[in-house]
Amino acid sequence: MADSISRLGTFPHLHVASAYSLRYGTAFPAALVERARAYGMETLALTDRDGLYGAIKHVQACHKAGVRPIVGADLTFDPGEEASRRIPAPPVSDRLGPGWAGEPSRRGGRRTAAEIPEPPRVVALARADGWGNLCRLVTAAHHAGERGEPRVTLAMVAEHATGPDGLPRLTVLLGPRSDVGRAVAERRDDEARWLLDAWRSAVPGVVVELTDHYGYREANAATRMLGLAESMGVPVVLTNAVRHLDPADYRIGNVLDAARKLVPLDARHVEPSSHAYLKDGAEMARIAHRICGGDQARAARLLAHTREQAERCVLTPVDVVPLIDNERPKLHLPGMGSDPIPLLRHRCEDGLHDRGLARSRDARARLADELRIIEKKELSGYFIAVAGITDMIRTMGIRCAIRGSGAGSLVNYLLKIGEVNPLDHGLLMERFLSEGRIGLPDIDVDVESARRLDCYQAILDRYGADSVACVSMMETYRARSAIRDVGAAMGLPPHEIDTIAKAFPHVRARQIRTALSDLPELRGSGLNDRALDSVFQLAERLDGLPRHVALHPCGVIVGNRGLRERTPVERSLLGFPMSQYDKDDVEDAGLLKLDVLGVRMQSAMAYALSEIKRVDDLDVALEEIPRDDVATYEMIRASRTLGCFQIESPGQRELVAKMEPRTIDDLIVDISLFRPGPVNSDMVTPYLEARHGFRRAVFAHEDLRKPLAETEGVVVFHEQILKIIHIMTGETLSEAEKIRRSLDDPGRRALVREWFVERAGRRYDQATVDQVWQVIDAFGAFGFCKAHAAAFAIPTYQSAWLKRHHVAAFFAGVLTHEPGMYPNRVILDEARLCGVDILPLDVNRSGRTWHVERSGPSEETDDLSRIGAGYALRVPFSAIKGISEAEVERMVQGRPYSSMADFWERARPSRPVAEKIVEVGGLDALHGLRPGEPRWRPGELTRRDLIATIGALDRAALAGVAQLSLGFVEPINPGELPEMTEAEAVRSELAILGVDVSRHVISFYEELLAALGVTRSRDLLRCRNGAEILVAGVKVATQTPAVRSGQRVIFTTLDDATGPVDLTFFESVQAHTAATVFGSWMLVARGVVRRTGRRAVSLRAVHCWDLTALDRLWRAEGLESVQKLLSERPTETRGIPSRAIEYPNGYRISPYSDIGPTPGVHHPPSNLSHTSQGSPTLTLTPT
Amino acid sequence: MSRLYGEPIEVWVRDGDPVQFVWRDRLYSVRQVLDQWVVAREWWKTSDTDPGERRFWRLEAAAGREIGTYELRYDTASDAWLMLRAWD
Repeated sequence: MADSISRLGTFPHLHVASAYSLRYGTAFPAALVERARAYGMETLALTDRDGLYGAIKHVQACHKAGVRPIVGADLTFDPGEEASRRIPAPPVSDRLGPGWAGEPSRRGGRRTAAEIPEPPRVVALARADGWGNLCRLVTAAHHAGERGEPRVTLAMVAEHATGPDGLPRLTVLLGPRSDVGRAVAERRDDEARWLLDAWRSAVPGVVVELTDHYGYREANAATRMLGLAESMGVPVVLTNAVRHLDPADYRIGNVLDAARKLVPLDARHVEPSSHAYLKDGAEMARIAHRICGGDQARAARLLAHTREQAERCVLTPVDVVPLIDNERPKLHLPGMGSDPIPLLRHRCEDGLHDRGLARSRDARARLADELRIIEKKELSGYFIAVAGITDMIRTMGIRCAIRGSGAGSLVNYLLKIGEVNPLDHGLLMERFLSEGRIGLPDIDVDVESARRLDCYQAILDRYGADSVACVSMMETYRARSAIRDVGAAMGLPPHEIDTIAKAFPHVRARQIRTALSDLPELRGSGLNDRALDSVFQLAERLDGLPRHVALHPCGVIVGNRGLRERTPVERSLLGFPMSQYDKDDVEDAGLLKLDVLGVRMQSAMAYALSEIKRVDDLDVALEEIPRDDVATYEMIRASRTLGCFQIESPGQRELVAKMEPRTIDDLIVDISLFRPGPVNSDMVTPYLEARHGFRRAVFAHEDLRKPLAETEGVVVFHEQILKIIHIMTGETLSEAEKIRRSLDDPGRRALVREWFVERAGRRYDQATVDQVWQVIDAFGAFGFCKAHAAAFAIPTYQSAWLKRHHVAAFFAGVLTHEPGMYPNRVILDEARLCGVDILPLDVNRSGRTWHVERSGPSEETDDLSRIGAGYALRVPFSAIKGISEAEVERMVQGRPYSSMADFWERARPSRPVAEKIVEVGGLDALHGLRPGEPRWRPGELTRRDLIATIGALDRAALAGVAQLSLGFVEPINPGELPEMTEAEAVRSELAILGVDVSRHVISFYEELLAALGVTRSRDLLRCRNGAEILVAGVKVATQTPAVRSGQRVIFTTLDDATGPVDLTFFESVQAHTAATVFGSWMLVARGVVRRTGRRAVSLRAVHCWDLTALDRLWRAEGLESVQKLLSERPTETRGIPSRAIEYPNGYRISPYSDIGPTPGVHHPPSNLSHTSQGSPTLTLTPT
Repeated sequence: MSRLYGEPIEVWVRDGDPVQFVWRDRLYSVRQVLDQWVVAREWWKTSDTDPGERRFWRLEAAAGREIGTYELRYDTASDAWLMLRAWD
C-alpha cells in the first residue's frame, strides 16, 4: 500500500498553465512547484499559453525545490482553411455539454461572439534535448500570426518537432481541445481517426492527452479518446490541464475568462474550471479510474505511460538557465569575428593615449585589475560590442551618455562608452563587475528619447535580426487595471468604471479596500458603497497577475546567430523582435544585454543645441564645456532649477538651496542624497551641518577619514560601504561588494553582522566595530551607487549650464520634448521669469516645434530675471490640441500666407483646427487683430468674424464651389461680431494650447487675491518663520513620495505668476484638504512658513480651497463671505491609519507613497469658471 | 422520455457515490453509475462566501424489480439531494 501511494505521488503533471498564461492562469510558477513538491511529485511541467514567459522562473523554482522541470507551450492551433471548410461548426451545446449551465434544454437560439469557441490548441513539450526546438517553434508561432494572435499549423509543428537526426525533439499532446479531441467529443469518429493519423505521420512525438474536469460527458469523451489512441497504437497520457493552484481559484479564472473575451461574466462565457487545479496523485488516480471505466489494470497502464512520457521531457536546469552554474556559466556572447581578448586590450591601450592617461600609473594599475576580471569572466567581446554600439549611435548624431554602475569602470571610459573618468571621482568597478558577483554586468546608456528606436534599428541592422532581441516586461494588475477588468466583467457601464478606476492612486490591487477606508479623498467619494464591494473584492484577487507583455523601455540583448535557440522571440507593438523573457530571466538565461534608455532630457538638449546653432550660429559642444562655471552654480544655489535634469522637483529645489553646490562633486552628493533611503536615515541633516561648518565631521575611526571625508563623515555611497568593509576587514573590494549586496536580504543581515564583528574585531576595538556596523546596517542597503550619481550629474550640470547661458533655446527643447515633471505652462512661466518673451501662434512665423526668435539685443547679466532678454519663444503649430501631423506639415510648408483664405486654401486645415488657430490668435498678425476692449468695433475685423468666415468657407467647400476665394462665399461684414475679451483669449489658450500665452491665468484673480491679502511667491523670502499666511496659484505638481516618518505626505507646488510656492500637506490635515488638493486646478491655501535654508521657504499647509469657487462666492456674496469661509478652522484628525510598511532598520514608508502621477486634476478644466457676465461663447458661427 | 421532478430525496453514499436512495417512499438501490459531473455555481449572482458546487449523477437504480435511469443532484453548499429527472 505504501508503495502504491508513493507511486501515486509521483504523478507528473504535463499540462500546467501558470499566471504567465495571460488572463488565463492564476498561479505563479514557484507556487505550483512548491505544491508539487509538497505532494511528493518528482516532475512538473509548465505549459503556458502561447509563450515561454514563465519558463525560466519555473526551471529555477524546480531547481531550488529539487523537482525535475519540464517545459512546454500550449499553442493555438490553426487547422488550416481546407480543414475548416471540411469540418462543419457544430452547435455549441454539443461541444460544451450542458455540464456548465446545468440545463441542456435551455440552450439554442443565437450565439454571441463570445460563445464561438476559442480556437483549438495543442501542447508542445520540449524533450530533454529539444529546448532549442521549442524556443524556435514558439518564435515561429508568433511570427506566423497577427501580433497578439500567435498560431501554429501542422506543418510548423512538424518542421520543429525533430532534430537533424530525424528523432523527435518535441512531444506534442493532443488533448480535448485539439482538433482530434473535438472530433471525438462531437462523435465524428472517422474524422478523428483521420486527423490523428495525419498528426502521427507528420510528428513522430505525438501523444494523445486525456483530461477530465468532471464536466458533462467529459469522462465519456476521454474514454473514447483512449479507445481511439489504443486502436491506433498512439501513446496516451493523463493530465489535468491545470489552471489553478487551489479549487477555489476558479472564480478568479472566471473573471479572467470574461476579461480575456471582453464580455460580462455569464455562464455562457466562462470556462468550467473548478476542477482544473493542481490535483495530487490520488485524485489523478481517481480520474484515471473514471476514464478507464473502473478497469484497474488499464488505469495503472495509463498512469505508467504518463510517467514514461514525462521521463523523455525532463530538462537539465542548467541547460535552460545557465546562471545556475555561477562558477562557469555558459554565456551567450555577441558574435565576434576575431579573438576578443587582444582586441579589447588594444582598444584600451589606445584609450589610455586618447584620454591622456598613458603615463598615469594609477590608470594602468586599475586597467590591469579590470581586464583581469573581464577576461576571467570571458566578457571581452561584450565590451567591444557595446563600444561598437555607442560609437555607432554617436556617429548617427545622437546624444549618448553612460548611466548606472557602468560609469565606475575605467574600461568603459577608455572605450568611450561613457564620459565619466572613475579615477576622478573615486568610483569603483566592483560595484559594476566583480569576481564574486552572481549575474552579468549590464551597461546602461541614455540616448535621446526621440531617437531611441533609431538606435534599436541600427543595432538590429548591424548585428542581424537573428542575433538581437529587445527585452520584454510583464505589466501586472494593479488597482486601476484590476478595477477596469473586473468592472467590465461585472457589467458596469464603461464611464462609471473609468471614474472609479481614476479615483484610486497608483496602488497595488490588493490595497483597494484598505485605501478606500484609509484615504480621506476616497472615504468621502461614495465609492465604499456596498454595491461595489464585490467588484473591489474580486479586483483585489487579481493583484499582481500578469496582464500583458510589453517592450521593456531599454533592454536590448546582443548575441550571436544561436540566440533563437535560447529564447523565444515575438514581435513588439512596433515590430521589433522581443524576447519573451523579462530582464531577470534574460540574465539568468546567460544572455548579455545593453540598456539603451531613451531620455527626454537628452532630446531636449540636442534640440536646444540645434536652436542655438540656427539662431545664433554658435556650435556648442556640451561635452567640452567647463564643469566649474560659476554662473551656473550660482543659478542652482538660487534654486532656479525648474526645467533642469534631476534637480527641478520641489524637494530638490529645497535641497540645492540648502546644500549650495559649487562643484560637480557636490552635485553627485546632492543627487545621491535625494533618495528615500538617505532622507529616511537622517543623513541629510548631519551632512549639511558639517558642510556648512555648524558641526565637525565625525569619523568612527581615523582610518575611515579617507573614504568618508568627501561626504563629511556621512555614508552616502555604496562605494563608501565597500571601502569601509575593505579597510576594516582586509577583504577585497569584490568580496566587499558581495557582502554589501547581502545586506539587502534581512535574513542574511544577522550572518553578515556576525562575520563583520568577528573580522573587524581582529583589527579594531569593540566600540568602533559596533559603531561602524550600525552605520553600515542603517545606510548600507539604502545608499546610492556613486557611479550612478556621477553619470547623472553630468547631464544635470549640462542642462543647468544650458539654462543659464542659452535659456530660450534650452526651454525650446524642454517645451518640445517635455522631459520633466511640470506641465508646459509652468515651463513657459519660468521662461517668462527669466526674461524670455513668449510669442503667440502666428501662421506665418510658427514652426513644427517650439522655436527661438530674436526679439531685441541680448544682455550680459547676472540678474536671473534678465538672462533671457532679447530672445523669444514662439508657440508652434504642434501645440494645438487635435491637430494632425499632416496638417502641421502642410501649414509649415505653405508659409507665408497672405490671408486667411489663402491659409485655408493651401494649408487645408480641418474646420475645428482652423477655428482653434483663429481663437488663439494665429491670424492676428496677418489681419491686424487684437483681443480686448472695446469689444464692438464696427468696420474692423475681429477673431469672431474670421471664425464665421471659416464656417462660410467650409460650407462653400461642401457645396462644391471650386477654386475658393473670399469673393465666392457668403460675405462676412467686418465687425459684425464682437471681439474676444482678454479673459476669453487666455481661456482659449489654455483650452487649446494648454499654456497661457498672452497673460498669466492667475492675473484674472489679482483683485480677489489682493483683497484677501494673499502672499505672492516673490515675497515669501521676506516672511518670518512660523508666520501663517495665505497663498494661491495654479497647481503645477502634486507628489506623494516616500518620506521618513512613514506618513503619506502630499507635496503640492502652486504657481502664482511670480514663482513657485511649495506646500506640504501632512496626514493630520488631509481629511479636510485631500479632496480639494487632488480635485482642483487653482488653489488658495493657508499655511505656516518654514524657513528651510537661506533661500528656501516652504509652507506647512493647514487648509485649502478651490480658487474658482472662492471667486464665485466673492462675486455673488462679497468679500465678507469669502473671509468667513477662510477663517474656518477644521479640527485636525489622526490622519491615515498607520499601516506604514516598516523595514528592519526602522525605515518606514507609507503604502500610499507613490512615484507615479497622483490622481486628480492636472490640466485646466475645459470651463474655467471665471467668465465675465453674458459673454457670448466662441462657437458663434452663423448657421 | 424523461420527466423532471426536482424533489428532495434521502441518499446513502459510499466512496463518494450514491448507493441507495428513498424517493416517494420507495427505496432504490443503485446498480450502476452511468455518468457523473460537476457544475460550479454562478457565484457572481450570490453573496455567499462559498457558493459551493453541484454534483450530478446519472445512474441506473432499481426499486424491487423495476429498473430505471435517474438523475440526482447534490448541492455542497446546502448539503441537500434532489431527484432531478427520471427515465422510467
